[in-house]
Amino acid sequence: MKTWLRLGDKKRCVELPDNITEPGRHACIVDNRTVEADVMVTEENILSLIVEGRQYRCLLDGDALVLAGRRYEFAVEDPRSLRGRSGGAEGSSGPRTLKAPMPGRVVRVMVSVGDEVEAMQGVVVIEAMKMQNELKVPKAGRISKVAVATDATVEAGQVLIVVE
Amino acid sequence: MKKVLIANRGEIALRVMRACREMGLATVAVYSDVDRAALHVAYADEAYRLGPGPATESYLRGDLILEVAQQAGADAIHPGYGFLSENAEFAEACETAGITFIGPPASAMRALGSKTKARQAADAAQMPRVPGSVKGLATIEEALSVAAQIGYPVMLKAAAGGGGKGMRAVLAATEMAAAYSTASSEAERSFGSGEVYLEKLIERPRHIEIQVIADTHGSCLYLGERECSVQRRHQKVIEEAPSAVVGEDLRRRMGEAAVRLALSAGYVNAGTVEFLVDSDQNFYFLEMNTRLQVEHPVTELITGLDLVAMQLRVAMGEPLGVRQQEVYLRGHAIECRIYAEDPENNFMPSPGKITRLLQPGGPGIREDCGVYEGWTVPLDYDPMLSKLITYGATREEAITRMVRALDEYVVGGIRTNIGLFRRILLDEEFRSAQIDTGYLDRLLAHSATEDESTVPEDVIALAAAILTQRQKTSSLSPVPVAVSRWRSAGRTEGLRA
Repeated sequence: MKTWLRLGDKKRCVELPDNITEPGRHACIVDNRTVEADVMVTEENILSLIVEGRQYRCLLDGDALVLAGRRYEFAVEDPRSLRGRSGGAEGSSGPRTLKAPMPGRVVRVMVSVGDEVEAMQGVVVIEAMKMQNELKVPKAGRISKVAVATDATVEAGQVLIVVE
Repeated sequence: MKKVLIANRGEIALRVMRACREMGLATVAVYSDVDRAALHVAYADEAYRLGPGPATESYLRGDLILEVAQQAGADAIHPGYGFLSENAEFAEACETAGITFIGPPASAMRALGSKTKARQAADAAQMPRVPGSVKGLATIEEALSVAAQIGYPVMLKAAAGGGGKGMRAVLAATEMAAAYSTASSEAERSFGSGEVYLEKLIERPRHIEIQVIADTHGSCLYLGERECSVQRRHQKVIEEAPSAVVGEDLRRRMGEAAVRLALSAGYVNAGTVEFLVDSDQNFYFLEMNTRLQVEHPVTELITGLDLVAMQLRVAMGEPLGVRQQEVYLRGHAIECRIYAEDPENNFMPSPGKITRLLQPGGPGIREDCGVYEGWTVPLDYDPMLSKLITYGATREEAITRMVRALDEYVVGGIRTNIGLFRRILLDEEFRSAQIDTGYLDRLLAHSATEDESTVPEDVIALAAAILTQRQKTSSLSPVPVAVSRWRSAGRTEGLRA
């Protein structure tokens, strides 16, 4: 089975045998090169990998691989999408949303529907862990939606404001 | 003393309970609604609910805490740090209720609590302090005349201040009016008092503090210094003991000055006297923290003393039992404060569920941790998760050991500042101890140079693909496929041979 990954600015293709998660040695193909890997999943999301005698303890944490204390962020790509991840990004012409970067409590909402805003203008203040953070709109335009009110609790990724 | 209530949460609540347990004292935890599942509750012998999540409705409710203490039959309260630890009214209320407050008497807290009062106390104890005013500035004109006397640049500071709030550097007289009003209003908002004073700005100072402990029999010790120059926005990030620039003579002079101040204020129990040290090794009194500090473990490691146990014994009325000449410093200790925040995203707080926690171990490692795997870090409190402390024969050994420990440390599910520590610990200037309170801000002003990774990219891609596929298949078939352990073991063994 083939998996396309984006690691930093590089795109990699990894082909794994179907029984890859069974312990033992497997022949895998990384970008047309064959890599002999001894695979042992020791715990949920933790893998001990031996390649050419070197042992790597790897841990999957959300969208990143943690290895020897370092985080390597990666994304699994859909091979059918030729444009890759950047292809779907929102342009400056359409509506843009401001999402909560972290869970927290809304301390202040500084705009209301219909307000004209500048790009990078602060519009919402969220407090988490004794710290207040001012969130800014990604582009200039008119506020078309205010989805939160003062004192509301928000989750990470929740839409707060829409600007058109 | 038989039973101690710990009016705090997180790692410090655990730290105090551990000392209590070793001394055969029963422990009482208090908790807010969001902390029912917190580690400090699970460690305690008894636990009582205070109220809803916000600290003002739980950990800051001195009245409720005293009620719980009486109901539980606790005869002492340890306040930890933060929350009620420097609240003189609370210390007094404990006394009135016949409960021992494990800390200094309210009178000593008052004498040293406000920065202007502490500066007056420093003068009385004949210790050097940063030049400037010793009382609040009534008007901008007064600020201007004091600044003209001591010379620019100067620093405006809130008398009730802390954590860098209500603080403004003033480089010239023309900036005074604006700085005065912002510092004063910020102080008013943060501390309920707009009183500001002025002191000379010490350029590139090092933050070095002396740990003291006094008993009720008039004896007071200094337990060496800690250097806390690595700060971000006036918040300590890394602390170490001893300081690389403090020799025996300077240590003795700073220590004796700190002891003089403590004794003159009638101080009892553990406290810390903070100093700024300039490049010519002049030291200036900054303020006194009338409580146990976050960074106390580095002192414990180099002195071999248990500060919390000493605090408890002092509160029981026992003498210190150690003389100044019996305090030896040995080796070097470093502490990293592990925070739930994302250094790559403007240090944004990162509360949430800890899906994985792999903690370092082995020689020279101490971890004072307040969290566990599977726990959700609430967003109501300080983002400190844990303190990682390493000990070595030399500073170099403590640093290498810390780098090794950080490589072992994994916190999954939320973001932490672990990566930032590696950057600091590998930095040339930090390694050669060329640090001052502006060091970290200067380091962070430069974008990080790519940390040389020794892991081949092929391996990273391969591991990422395997774990992704494994996650996909395990979510498709939640019932694990029966694979004979004998068969797979046999296969592995066969291949190995």
